[in-house]
Amino acid sequence: MSEVLLQKGAKLPDSPLSRFKRRTGLVLAVLALGLCIGLWLTPYQPAQADFLNRLAPPEPAHWFGTDHLGRDIGTRLLYGAFWSLGLALVVSLAGLIAGTLVGLLAARSGSFPDALLMRVTDSFFAFPELIAAVAFAGLFGPSTVNLVVALSLVSWMKFARLARSLGLTIGERDFVIQARLNGLTDWLILWRHILPNVLPSLLVLWTSSWSRTILAVSGLSFLGFGVQPPTAEWGAMLLDGKPYMQTAPHIMIFPGLAVLVSVLAINLAGDRLRDVLAQTR
Amino acid sequence: MKYFLSRLPGLAFVLLGISLITFTLSYFSPGDRAEAIAHARYPEEIAFPPELLQAIRAEFHLEEPFWLQYLYWFGNVLRGDFGLSYASQTSVWDIFIGNLGETVTLSLTSLGLGLAVAFLLASLAVRHPGTWLDRAAVMLSSVGAAMPSYWLGLLLILGFAVHLGWFPSYGTGTPAHLVLPALTLAFWVMASQTRLLRSFMLEAANQPFVETLRLRGISESEIFFRHVLRHAMVPAVTMIAIDFASLLEGAIIVELTFARSGLGSLLAGSVLSRDLPMVMFLVMFFAVAYVVINSLAEALQAASDPATRTQEQRV
Repeated sequence: MSEVLLQKGAKLPDSPLSRFKRRTGLVLAVLALGLCIGLWLTPYQPAQADFLNRLAPPEPAHWFGTDHLGRDIGTRLLYGAFWSLGLALVVSLAGLIAGTLVGLLAARSGSFPDALLMRVTDSFFAFPELIAAVAFAGLFGPSTVNLVVALSLVSWMKFARLARSLGLTIGERDFVIQARLNGLTDWLILWRHILPNVLPSLLVLWTSSWSRTILAVSGLSFLGFGVQPPTAEWGAMLLDGKPYMQTAPHIMIFPGLAVLVSVLAINLAGDRLRDVLAQTR
Repeated sequence: MKYFLSRLPGLAFVLLGISLITFTLSYFSPGDRAEAIAHARYPEEIAFPPELLQAIRAEFHLEEPFWLQYLYWFGNVLRGDFGLSYASQTSVWDIFIGNLGETVTLSLTSLGLGLAVAFLLASLAVRHPGTWLDRAAVMLSSVGAAMPSYWLGLLLILGFAVHLGWFPSYGTGTPAHLVLPALTLAFWVMASQTRLLRSFMLEAANQPFVETLRLRGISESEIFFRHVLRHAMVPAVTMIAIDFASLLEGAIIVELTFARSGLGSLLAGSVLSRDLPMVMFLVMFFAVAYVVINSLAEALQAASDPATRTQEQRV
């Protein structure tokens, strides 16, 4: 296709997918750079208390004000990005990998193991994420590690279902049958032919899983079942700021805004990716 | 009906799986259960003689292997005996029923409110496609989906309780206590349903039969209200049922944010006081409720659309 176009001397058309990749890469690079510059420029530490300047509203020395211990909220928001976005990233990636493995295994393994795996998936699927996480993190002791374990345990099922249904469809396509007839091993077929075809749809699902998990991580931390203060996780910061809501509302406004903006950005990127993939097909 | 019956064995397996996962969670949770039971029975005592603990272990089969303990527990559950709460020594079921009302009230109020607004927004968006109305509805639902509900709750408290003083900020009791929590949860319902309703209505409005009706000279509003809406209702109802779990989850976060009594506060409280029978029952209840409602939604969908009767179930 592209060779034909080149022979005619025409310029290669810029595919929506490559444009999406370039733009997302650019945005991510700018964000990462901004985060690094912020961390480099800020004169404060996330846990550095200043009791003479407590509950200060936003001012030149503290762009986002200070909290009840005089800690700089802007600095804590920057460090909080690693906790809130990073923990959710770990959980959603764990879900993506585990779910894809289970789903593709089910799709490949014939009727009985397939049915068994899918009923196990259904059983896990029945537990609402937050309720399972509250029960697990509460019984085993609220901590960052238990939060990640609990959320990971209930994050893989959607991926398993999608990977299985995609795996079943693609497994019947001509190029897979051809590859099998040519004597390729199962692993090679999986790696070279099936995975590249299921991954785009799984990635769309993954963006929504990531943003949902950000809400779950910060929500559970806000309720006291996740990351514990004084760690600068956004939900934990909100919990810290709640008693001072009346006199210093900025303590709770900025962390919540950070969650809202991050989740919105990831959702919009996911929607765009889905549209782009629908166009290229 | 046939479709529903064919799914029963799978359903039974899933319910069994749920019970096994719940039991595993409690079995491996740290803490001495015999001591917890002793504390519950004799709240005045501080230390317990080893003989007493031993007797309790024997009574509750705590020293049996995992599988036997599971069977004892599961047998009791099947007979409707969910045990006594460690905290109050009353039946777990009674405590649950006592707290169910508040959560149901909150969920249904928010669902009604959110759906009404979503319906209005989606109808406006579909009848005026591409206008600022359409874009505003889409944007509002995107923001709503990204909104942390606990944060929205705090903002509402700040605005309407602290500054304006119109509604109480925390607690349960009067209908005024319900307003802010219901608004918080309704906003989430509105966001998720506007988006879905809009796409279902758009799909219905683009069906060939709509063009035929238009050619017959039927007015736009009659087409919309009599035909497009009816067509969009079936997938909408199914999606609302499937989203029921998220509604419950939302209700729990909102309850805890506003310190309302209800299942959310009950779950958080019993988890923190390690009230295992209560936690196990609640976790099971949410999972079973989810499975049952989902199966009903699927059956409804199957009954209304012959294509799904044979189709392999997808995500």
